[in-house]
Amino acid sequence: GAYGSGGMWTRGSIGPWTAWGVVDLLNQAALISNDSKINILKQVSGETLGARFQAKRFFILGPPGALTPRAASQWMVKSKVISELQEACWEMVSAMASDIILLLDSDNDGIRTHAIKFVEGLIITLSPRMPDSDVPKRHENDISLERIPKDHPYIKYNVLWEEGKAALEQLLKFMVHPAISSINLTAALGSLATIARQRPMFMAEVIQAYETLHANLPPTLAKSQVSSVRKNLKLHLLSVLRHPSSGDFQPQITTLLVDLGTQQAEIARSMPNPRDVRKRPR
Amino acid sequence: MPSSPLRVAVVCSSNQNRSMEAHNILSKRGFSVRSFGTGTHVKLPGPAPDKPNVYDFKTTYDQMYNDLLRKDKELYTQNGILHMLDRNKRIKPRPERFQNCKDIFDLILTCEERVYDQVVEDLNSREQETCQPVHVINVDIQDNHEEATLGAFLICELCQCIQHTEDMENEIDELLQEFEEKSGRTFLHTVCFY
Repeated sequence: GAYGSGGMWTRGSIGPWTAWGVVDLLNQAALISNDSKINILKQVSGETLGARFQAKRFFILGPPGALTPRAASQWMVKSKVISELQEACWEMVSAMASDIILLLDSDNDGIRTHAIKFVEGLIITLSPRMPDSDVPKRHENDISLERIPKDHPYIKYNVLWEEGKAALEQLLKFMVHPAISSINLTAALGSLATIARQRPMFMAEVIQAYETLHANLPPTLAKSQVSSVRKNLKLHLLSVLRHPSSGDFQPQITTLLVDLGTQQAEIARSMPNPRDVRKRPR
Repeated sequence: MPSSPLRVAVVCSSNQNRSMEAHNILSKRGFSVRSFGTGTHVKLPGPAPDKPNVYDFKTTYDQMYNDLLRKDKELYTQNGILHMLDRNKRIKPRPERFQNCKDIFDLILTCEERVYDQVVEDLNSREQETCQPVHVINVDIQDNHEEATLGAFLICELCQCIQHTEDMENEIDELLQEFEEKSGRTFLHTVCFY
């Protein structure tokens, strides 16, 4: 088919799904007849889901702004009148999102790595931005839960919020799997740090996960992998510590950092500036 | 095997000896390779251990060559520095600092733990724009000519093994474990995202 069949897929190129995104495809679909719309939708779902095991980078790869649930909600929120087409698309995108969460269980380690990054984006989209959230400049205008009107005719705020929390549960469950590979562990540690900084209401869960991991490193890791994971854990703990909302968690973070061999001076340097903490509205 | 060559970066502290030796070999073997230093300055040995020659990253290899030629031709010929600079200027005009390069790589090889830490910290401090992964692997190499040569061959062998995997991201963890056993060395390894 024309989309995602993998033939033109080369290292580092941006896949068809991120290049123009589902939204563009749907915009095209809006201009054509109903029968063609249905066909395109079938093509979209059939091709992506069918090809997922070959096209391992899938549409996960690319600017997070083009991640489909985010793009789809943007499109849905902008429209005042929700058409059948939009409803169908929303269903499809939701189905794809749950499908990708399942890829955390894929047999392929690389696909699992990409699934982790996808779930990270999903959690951030399906949770509200707070006043103390880190907001990457590029994503200032991204959609996330707080922009969805509570009375939106089709998108239910509470349902999505629950889905966001459930996605975090999945990621945390994935992390405690005893046979997790060292590379997926490092990817997950990084995703958790991003989640804690952009969605500080999850900081408790993230620190808890870091503590659990530190106390129970997977027995399958080789010695050098243990060093790599510990190094990673230290880096991400310091980055969470620098966040203005780390206050309540500083004792736990500091204990972990000391256990990981971090010098006191380095910990002190990463303490958030008290002025920043006050400056932010609560 | 991947459809296009791996984009590789080799990184040491001053982008003179270890990374340039590997750059040289990798480019001869057909890799798309670039090399960098992570230091704030470029340091070359001087007349005494506490008197290094210090340059900024803007200085060309040619300018350094001429500077040292003028300072003490015999010393810098005998310790191999002029020879190294001569080799380097045939590869590229000047050293490059990793932190100033925004290009995307598939694989970044560092030559010592401190450099690995600096690379990983820099990649993590950048604003993430894509979910494209980059694997960072540290291979400890002592900063002298002989070790740089041995280290460059090891890096090259590692890159060739990775290039020949059918599915790099699925196999890299295991491949590195085998490589550790074979070479008797240990590697630090992490994945970052652009």
